[in-house]
Amino acid sequence: MTSITQGAASAPSLRFAGQAQRRALAWSWTCGLLLILTLLVIYPVAMLLIGAITNTNPIVEGYHFERASLDNFLAVLANPNVQVALVNSLIACAGGTALAVVIGLIFSWIVVRTDTPAKRLIAMSSIVPLFVPPLVGAVAWAILGSPRTGLINTLLASLGIDFRINLYSMGGLIAVFGMYYAPYVYMFTASALRNMDPSLEEAAEVSGAGAVRTLFTVTFPLIAPAIVSGMLLSFIVMLGIYGIPAVLGAPANIHVLTTYIFKLTAWSPPLYSTAAAVAVILMVVTGLLVWAQARVLSGRSYTTVAGKAFRPRALRLGPWRWLTLGLALFYLVVVVVLPTLALIVAGFRKFLFIRSLTDVFDERAYSLVHFERLLANPLALRSIVNTMEVGLWTAAIGGALAFAIGYTINRTQLPGRRGIDIISTLPVAIPGLVVGVAYLWAWIGLPGGLYGSIWILALAFIARFMPDTIKALSTSLMQIHKELEEASWICGRGMLGTIRSIVLPLAKPGVVAAMTLLFILAIRELGSSLFLYTSETMVMAVLLLDYYEGGNVGVTAAFSLVQTVLLAVLIGFTQWLSRGAADGGVGRAG
Amino acid sequence: MSAALDVRDLRKQFVIGRPAVDGVSFHVPAGEIVVLLGPSGCGKTTTLRCVAGLEHPTDGEISIGGTAVSAPARGLLVPPRHRNIGMVFQSYAVWPHMTVKQNVAFPLKHRDVSGAETERRIAGALELVGLTEYASRPVTALSGGQMQRVALARSLVYQPQLLLLDEPLSNLDAKLRLRLRDDLRRIIKQTGVTALYVTHDQSEAVALGDRIGVMREGKLLQLAPAADLYNRPADLFVANFTGASNLLHGQVLERQGEFATLAMQGGGRFRAWAPPAIAVGERVQVAVRPENIQLGVNGSEHSYDARVVAQRYHGTQTTYELELFGERIEVVELGTAARHGVGSPVKLTLPPNLCWAYAASETAGQE
Ligand SMILES: Nc1ncnc2c1ncn2[C@@H]1O[C@H](COP(=O)(O)OP(=O)(O)OP(=O)(O)O)[C@@H](O)[C@H]1O
Ligand SMILES: [Mg+2]
Repeated sequence: MTSITQGAASAPSLRFAGQAQRRALAWSWTCGLLLILTLLVIYPVAMLLIGAITNTNPIVEGYHFERASLDNFLAVLANPNVQVALVNSLIACAGGTALAVVIGLIFSWIVVRTDTPAKRLIAMSSIVPLFVPPLVGAVAWAILGSPRTGLINTLLASLGIDFRINLYSMGGLIAVFGMYYAPYVYMFTASALRNMDPSLEEAAEVSGAGAVRTLFTVTFPLIAPAIVSGMLLSFIVMLGIYGIPAVLGAPANIHVLTTYIFKLTAWSPPLYSTAAAVAVILMVVTGLLVWAQARVLSGRSYTTVAGKAFRPRALRLGPWRWLTLGLALFYLVVVVVLPTLALIVAGFRKFLFIRSLTDVFDERAYSLVHFERLLANPLALRSIVNTMEVGLWTAAIGGALAFAIGYTINRTQLPGRRGIDIISTLPVAIPGLVVGVAYLWAWIGLPGGLYGSIWILALAFIARFMPDTIKALSTSLMQIHKELEEASWICGRGMLGTIRSIVLPLAKPGVVAAMTLLFILAIRELGSSLFLYTSETMVMAVLLLDYYEGGNVGVTAAFSLVQTVLLAVLIGFTQWLSRGAADGGVGRAG
Repeated sequence: MSAALDVRDLRKQFVIGRPAVDGVSFHVPAGEIVVLLGPSGCGKTTTLRCVAGLEHPTDGEISIGGTAVSAPARGLLVPPRHRNIGMVFQSYAVWPHMTVKQNVAFPLKHRDVSGAETERRIAGALELVGLTEYASRPVTALSGGQMQRVALARSLVYQPQLLLLDEPLSNLDAKLRLRLRDDLRRIIKQTGVTALYVTHDQSEAVALGDRIGVMREGKLLQLAPAADLYNRPADLFVANFTGASNLLHGQVLERQGEFATLAMQGGGRFRAWAPPAIAVGERVQVAVRPENIQLGVNGSEHSYDARVVAQRYHGTQTTYELELFGERIEVVELGTAARHGVGSPVKLTLPPNLCWAYAASETAGQE
């Protein structure tokens, strides 16, 4: 019995082929995948590492590796500007993470453990920030909270209040980080709380501990692994983000690693090797954090006891539940309503300057002038077309590649699949911006014109989002029972025939969902695009940043709205496709 | 130290459907163990959780040691931590991030107990459950039975006035369950604490309880010592639930004190015990336990003619299916020899004391 299935499992389509032939085919498949992965991941990272220890400019001089020396890297490490950027990064991310943990914990507790009204709405609003592109969120908050013209400050002034807020500051950076990355903590802790046997808390209460005591002596220690891992993940994402610090930090001259890397390449002459060195630092820090998170996740988890279904425990808050509801609504207003309103006001008003509150409702002040100006710019239209094109190619090729890899890893016994698995997960530890620098190093000095075409963008995106895509696909592949395939083999179908007639049709919803996810991730990606675009291959996210930095708030807001609506439609479409099956995929990549 | 528990007209209605607990009243004197027994979903856990204060009753009153702790009509609800009760959960609920000793020490932290006294009590509690050598182990390194002992020690260490146990043995394997239930009774009796114990396992209920309460669909049907429950079930459901699976149908001809003479559906006269409410002329159904029927004993006053329809041999006992008064009944006979062949006539003895007649309108259904 076992021998039959095993025989069938190793490439049944080749029943008549000889053993040797079969082996050769398996090896060539593996080698093909490894070759593609090497080109996509290993080669650029290797070039980045080499770039970090040289001091050449690959555009002007070509590659000159004979001058490579570790001293170059050490010199960069000793550079006080780099150290300031590193410290700033750590402060901003630590502060943002702390805030995210507080918000995420409070919300998961409210949603899972209390009888607060409208819990579904709260649960939904807690993950909304995942879907907002960081750059758009930052732009909206800049419109709201810039020190002089910020809408909140205008409002405060018109109310005669002397207090002003300034989001162009480390505090502002931390606040926006915390608000937008709280969902990472929330998702981990909410599911840990849900999986926790409520009797553990009840036992504490019966033995004499009050509600707060129970929370701190039993509940939090028990979900500590989830808290820590949500914390690390949000830290990792914040560390790799470019949009928010570029919008809020740069005006106050606060540079973090990501913005500093870009600044290095924007100087003339551009300091590509220094940028590569800083990118390596960023990659190492991220890698350590990813490793720590994997350790925490694989460690012993207290919360999954037996396979028992628990009755959810809803703490009766009495009148306090209005407070928790208020808190949730406040968060919703701050994170969703205010920024959206800010974009709408700024996008549709002729002049952002608002003298008093009544001024806001003066309809003569509103027009479509910013949208008209946006559409009148051929570059804007080109960026939209480019973005869609890059997105489609990324989704199509990346989706197919992820399917091939996912199937090979999960469903075959092919040699070398461990290696494929490891290499394809590697990009998890590489922030988007670093991918951009690595691709720049890898292709800019080579003839053939790949650098400067939209293909380099697509390839970078495919590599960057490969782990997310494979993970999304593997989940749906796992759901197809192995026996369905085996049944087809027994019926005489070959391996490829089975994939075509059984696996693909069954996995189709998952594949389509993964491709849509990839499309969405690609069209909002900023970090890696920064180093790879030219004026011919301009994409939306980069152009939005350009508009912002050019100081045209109205058009920036208008363009932000266009992108937001576009994304909302797409995300709605994905949700409809997967019908709530896979969530938060957009999140991981930030 | 241990206190009486008084539950009056307890009702608990969840958002939807019929009440989970529907007018339950009972009294547990100090130091007694009462077991609530019943099929799944009958409201045992809900009753227990209302007593603990983990669930808010809709109506009724609960007092512990003469002090009301739940009285929704008066808006009174003492939180669990102020009830001075101990509770053992079905899932053990030992805290996996603490050692055995930390688990047991936890409740003392919230009480005014001096350091030396704490040590003494922890040692006492661990000794009581036989886990002294395990004090410094993390609880995750214990077996299921040991975890349950930790949970027990934790709930006894502060000498609560009332101990609540919700199916504490149901997650253990059968052999361990047998051993632990005897230990459990010994330990509870040793501390003298009043206990309310919930289970759906009859043998556990009999071994543990001073009295057993049978519940069905939120109602408490009978609360009595085990012998009463098995020999004088209050109604057909209790009779059937405790194993009286044979049913005969008839009509009351006359009553003699506790007993009644019945005219059976398929012809023939029959004597059975009947509750006082059963009147002459009423249609009844008679419940009989398969083990209470004696086969082949001749000359007795209460012997009847039956015929073997089928026979199932189990080795140490044989189950016969008989035809009596035109109805089918099951009889179990102990012994390795199957003495009656299929088709053969047999005499059987049915002592009226062990045959119970209930109104025909009652339902036995428990599944
Ligand atoms: N929190 C709740 N919300 C809604 N219904 C509930 C809740 N808790 C219990 N019920 C319902 O109340 C009834 C009694 O439940 P309970 O848990 O008391 O049963 P039980 O006798 O303990 O059963 P089991 O032996 O299966 O544990 C069931 O029908 C159950 O579905
Ligand atoms: Mg129960």
